[in-house]
Amino acid sequence: MPFGHAGSPANRDGLVQTFTFKPFDMPANAAALREQVRAFIRDNMTDGDIARRANCWQVNDPDFSRALGKAGLIGLSLPRQYGGHDRSALERYIVLEELLSVGAPVGAHWIADRQTAPLLLRYGTEEQRRRWIPGIAAGEVYGCIGLSEPNAGSDLASVRSSARRDGDGWVLNGQKIWTTNAHIAHIMIGLFRSEEGSERNARLSQFLIPLDTPGITIRPIINLTGEHDFNEVFFDDVKLPADALIGEEGQGWAQATAELSLERSGPERYLSSMVLVTELVRHAAKSGDPAAIALAGRFTSEAWTLRQMSLAVAGRMAMGEDPALEATIVKDLGNSFEQAVPQLVQQVIELDLSSDDPLALLAAQLLQVSPSFSLRGGTREILRGIVARGLGLR
Amino acid sequence: MNEQQTMLADMASALFADLSHGATLAADWGRIEDMGFTGLLLAEESGGFGGGWADAAILFRLAGYHALSLPLVEAVVAARLANDAGFAQHGFGTIAEKAEGQFEQGRFTGVVRGAAWGRNAAFVAAPAPGGGAMLLSVGDAKVEERENPAGEPRDILHFSGAPAATLTVDLFALGAAARSMQAAGALDAALALAVGYVNDRKQFGKPLGKLQAVQQALAVFACEAAAANIAATAVAQALDRGDFDYEVAAAKIRTNIAAGIGTAVAHQAHGAIGFTHEYGLHPLTRRLWSWRSEFGSEQHWSMILGHHVTTADADHYWADMTRRSDATTPSSPGCAGPGEQA
Repeated sequence: MPFGHAGSPANRDGLVQTFTFKPFDMPANAAALREQVRAFIRDNMTDGDIARRANCWQVNDPDFSRALGKAGLIGLSLPRQYGGHDRSALERYIVLEELLSVGAPVGAHWIADRQTAPLLLRYGTEEQRRRWIPGIAAGEVYGCIGLSEPNAGSDLASVRSSARRDGDGWVLNGQKIWTTNAHIAHIMIGLFRSEEGSERNARLSQFLIPLDTPGITIRPIINLTGEHDFNEVFFDDVKLPADALIGEEGQGWAQATAELSLERSGPERYLSSMVLVTELVRHAAKSGDPAAIALAGRFTSEAWTLRQMSLAVAGRMAMGEDPALEATIVKDLGNSFEQAVPQLVQQVIELDLSSDDPLALLAAQLLQVSPSFSLRGGTREILRGIVARGLGLR
Repeated sequence: MNEQQTMLADMASALFADLSHGATLAADWGRIEDMGFTGLLLAEESGGFGGGWADAAILFRLAGYHALSLPLVEAVVAARLANDAGFAQHGFGTIAEKAEGQFEQGRFTGVVRGAAWGRNAAFVAAPAPGGGAMLLSVGDAKVEERENPAGEPRDILHFSGAPAATLTVDLFALGAAARSMQAAGALDAALALAVGYVNDRKQFGKPLGKLQAVQQALAVFACEAAAANIAATAVAQALDRGDFDYEVAAAKIRTNIAAGIGTAVAHQAHGAIGFTHEYGLHPLTRRLWSWRSEFGSEQHWSMILGHHVTTADADHYWADMTRRSDATTPSSPGCAGPGEQA
């Protein structure tokens, strides 16, 4: 039954329920934890360029990341023995949403904390965990993800970069592209074809690649605002030891896609424009403009709903489930909201985009960077294809 | 859902599915009363289920899903208000959207509008002119029969010096929450119909559902239905907590948006057949269009929510949103079937 869930009465009666919500309690220490993060932000966030608060999980500030790590606010749900803090997934969620809501520059460590460390915990060797995770939790070691290639974008199963066995080890060749933060990262988790001539998503493998390994060349790709986020990464006979293989040989596709719920439903999928929402609320309060007040109400409704959805997915994942479809829905709706925010602010408010008015600066920044929101981490069209399959179409 | 809620959902969906084709008050209301559903929000010692809003959300969603053409949702809310006000009446009550007139010394003179099945109800709860709600006996009214575009009775009641009981509850907000819950169910039902239809209907030698343009449109619809359903669930939690103005506004805005998008996609996917009287889409979409206007438009609630968030310092905007979900939820009072031990 599309969207039905085994055992639910709705399912037995043939009813469709699009989103399964299981009530869960926020951690009892939620308020105290929020206060801890807010105090950190007051002490550590400077009043610099306000435009850098937009889309802040792609804004790098290694000093901020180190201070955050020192305060114990990275690697929250990682085990203590690897430098983590043994906290629950929902406690981690609270810390993330607090940081994102004010536009904290968390880009440097974001991928390492969200994906690299959990992957190493699940598939890495003991030595790899000890080597890398403490640095990640300290906000000192950064990661990047090597998926896309020049001919493998949304069609990721077309990756051609190769990993060939060489004695005990591996030799990598090929090219990755659109690799966010390769230029500041210490390690990449990359998807390579580990059997020559294999097709589509079969026989792909994940590798842990220290980016200072000889044979790796990283070149910047400057984005439309003139900033350097992503890169091309070239692999030219890059020699890696046997344990560079993460998890099982040939299971790279399954391993990479198993992480998608975590990647797609997080608070970063709807909060990238939240600082502009807050600035609009400030503007509406000051001006008393009814159109701005109504827009503030509408944004609040959408943000509130998305937060409930994102939390519901986090709550189910904390119970060990994988609500992949719900996570996909959160990302699609969340991205659409993040993109609509600057468009609607521009539609309703008279903005002078050449001024240094905070509302104008944030709107201008988000108008330019928001097209990427529904591209990164799975395009809108790919996501809607997944939802359609979940509906029983295709 | 807990076990009792599962039982409630099972009983309700079985009955509503049975009643989904042209139920009438005269023929079928007795079956609703036999189940004891109208006492859902009454304490057990008052002869009710002892249920909370989380339970009501399940019932109201299913009423929407099956396009139930009986005033169950309104009767449930009205019974609770009458019980709270000590307003004893025989027969079922209903709720109305608006009242205009004077309320003085316990008597109301004026007009009550949008009274669902007002012509059949024993009493009506309506927003009182000065705030709060008032309860009136329909026997005191001259009834002007009207209906919404879905054919649901929405009567105008004229009162002259009619005695009224009052209570402080924001009835307009309760009505908005109830419509959000019904709309969430109706959207899921319209989505199920559309999915079923495009999988059956063949054009160009294959089911319509194989066409990417159709798939993408229905995915958009599914996302909207999901948003409406989570909003309806979350607003019930807020109602059970007792501090709900923010959440009711947010939920009604969001379900109204979803209704606008969802009805358009549902009809587009169905083509001409969805436009016929015979086919079962219009009982859902015409209700969705009606409910979108009842108990407040997007603009109405956007202004209310906008004023709410702009009266505080913008730096507290986020803290206000998170505080509302961090608040400890009292455990749901739950519900049991009639004759069951809770």
